[in-house]
Amino acid sequence: MILQVNDPVVEVHDLTVSYDRKPVLWGIDLTLPAGALVGVIGPNGAGKSTLVKAMMDLLPTGSGYVRIFGQPINEVRKRISYVPQRESVDWDFPASVFDVVLMGRYGKLGLFSRPRKADKDAAMEALQKVGMEAFAKRQISQLSGGQQQRVFLARALAQNADIYFMDEPFAGVDIATETAIIELLRIMREQGKTVIVVHHDLQSAAEYFDWVVLLNMRLVASGPTERALTQELLEQTYGGKLTVLSKVGDLLRKQEFPSREVKS
Amino acid sequence: MEAFFEFFSFADANVRYVTIGSVLLAASSAVVGCFTYLRKRALVGDAVAHAVLPGVCLAFILSGTKNPFILLIGAFITGWLSLICIDFITSRSRIKEDTAIGLVLSVFFGIGILLLTAIQHSGNAAQSGLDKFLFGKAASLVGEDLIAFSVVAVVLLISTIVFYKELTLLCFDQAYARTLGFPVRALELLLTTLTVFAVVVGIQAVGVVLMAAMLITPAAAARFWTDRLPVMLLLAALMGAFSGIAGAFVSYTAPAMPTGPWIVLIISMIAILSFALAPGKGWVARIIRQRRNRSLVLEENLLKLLYHLGEQKQAYTVAHSLQELLQRRAIPEKQAKAGLQKLKSQGYATKSAEGWHLTTQGQRRGQRVVRLHRLWELYLTQYLHLASDHVHEDAETIEHIITPELEQKLMEELSFPVLDPHSSKIP
Repeated sequence: MILQVNDPVVEVHDLTVSYDRKPVLWGIDLTLPAGALVGVIGPNGAGKSTLVKAMMDLLPTGSGYVRIFGQPINEVRKRISYVPQRESVDWDFPASVFDVVLMGRYGKLGLFSRPRKADKDAAMEALQKVGMEAFAKRQISQLSGGQQQRVFLARALAQNADIYFMDEPFAGVDIATETAIIELLRIMREQGKTVIVVHHDLQSAAEYFDWVVLLNMRLVASGPTERALTQELLEQTYGGKLTVLSKVGDLLRKQEFPSREVKS
Repeated sequence: MEAFFEFFSFADANVRYVTIGSVLLAASSAVVGCFTYLRKRALVGDAVAHAVLPGVCLAFILSGTKNPFILLIGAFITGWLSLICIDFITSRSRIKEDTAIGLVLSVFFGIGILLLTAIQHSGNAAQSGLDKFLFGKAASLVGEDLIAFSVVAVVLLISTIVFYKELTLLCFDQAYARTLGFPVRALELLLTTLTVFAVVVGIQAVGVVLMAAMLITPAAAARFWTDRLPVMLLLAALMGAFSGIAGAFVSYTAPAMPTGPWIVLIISMIAILSFALAPGKGWVARIIRQRRNRSLVLEENLLKLLYHLGEQKQAYTVAHSLQELLQRRAIPEKQAKAGLQKLKSQGYATKSAEGWHLTTQGQRRGQRVVRLHRLWELYLTQYLHLASDHVHEDAETIEHIITPELEQKLMEELSFPVLDPHSSKIP
């Protein structure tokens, strides 16, 4: 069940990504509609984060291309926002909550210019949206996991982007934060934004997302939740790894063999 | 002492120059070092510092002069080369970065020492003084050298101010910086170049062997005092500058002394003092906190004891002898006495001929501790389903830290209980 859409906001064509020569994603072809709340779902090691990172051009790709709003990502950076995994940074960094959220404005500012008053207003607004305005001056190491996640979300909101990529925003957060985040995501969808969320909890997936991408080293399904989140497709996604596929991947790594003859 | 006043009156123009030079060098490497430290690339600074030595020597051999610009260029080239080697080794082999740094550092430094020895035995008249690159000599910072190195130091300071926003973002969240469209590779290159330059100018004062200390130690020390990056940069610069002046002073009063070790000793002293004295995070603050905790526990235990004894007799303010107290609970006699004295001075207990009494306030506080103890026992049995004979030990510590708000919450969650799991009344 891989449904392709017309006028996609995100188009991934024949994407293969390898770590240390071992392919973790094989030939992904998918398109996502505008204004959708998309869940990227699959077991551990399925390449969910890898897919999102490759879409954002944070990883070298073995083959294929990604188009966002019909253009290469570097042309449309200002319309795109990324919420990395919470653990990807050192929270002991000497910065306040406000400092971190203000970073969301840096892309618009470009090199050399300093944040203006309007940028500070935007950062404060973003903090209000996630209910963290009282923590603006707090040192970031003093935050709980849920609060850290809200700060990252506020930083992304401060960018005022049209499409958001979020890597496990619900991992290790409290119930209150999870509800607050999903509320926020729904508001964003109503404003016509597209939100792509890496998600690991099957229970809540059906309720949260209107489009799901099922992934397990290859694309199993991509479509509206009610059609793609079926028993059969889930079994394909979670029903163990394709042993031959991962064995071939191991071989490629061991023999230092390229996964494609020429890089397209 | 005389030398001290002579130096710090700055009457001698030479002294002024040396001081200005040392301050600029030390401060600029401290500021650049803050970013290296925050990027967790401290060891890389050490590798670069050692790797500039062969560059300096080669530049001297090839040019035959000690022109600071030529030596700087030589230092810069090998410093850079070492970084490229580290990157190459880590990306093209299974060797991890720390190993690669160790390899590159020792190979480059070894070549440097080899060349230096060769120069010293070559009988070249101009060779004297090259060895100052090993351990530094602040007093030799005069004339052309001073101007050249000071200019580089000022450029370094200005660059970190101009690129403050970008460098901060790079150090905090590199992937995010890329998604914003910042030229991350170029910024990495910039920070590396700044680090190499800081090392190259700093070795004049400190020498290659100890240069890493000038990059990293001020940053690590400053981090203890503040959670704000601008303040951290400023503090690191001040600490660096102070050690720079001290180094210049030593170099001035004892020309035979290498300056580097002195500067490093002084900045290390500052760092050790910072680790010890910094508010909140320092050792002293932590020791004080632990002592305060211990004496709080002792006092509250004594109050609890007096309250328990009073509970048995249903008369809370009657006297109890010290012996009676110690029989009930094994507290070292000396500690118990000191604790009781403290309670007395705080007005929670009084002493008469018969022994120790609780005051009204003392009774209240004792009652609160006993209540918290029994509430916590009840909470553990009800919410954690622990057996009632397992909960006493936990409650012994928790009773001292529960705040009034938590107490209120506990009362609500347990729906205002009357008896604890051992059927004692919750007062």
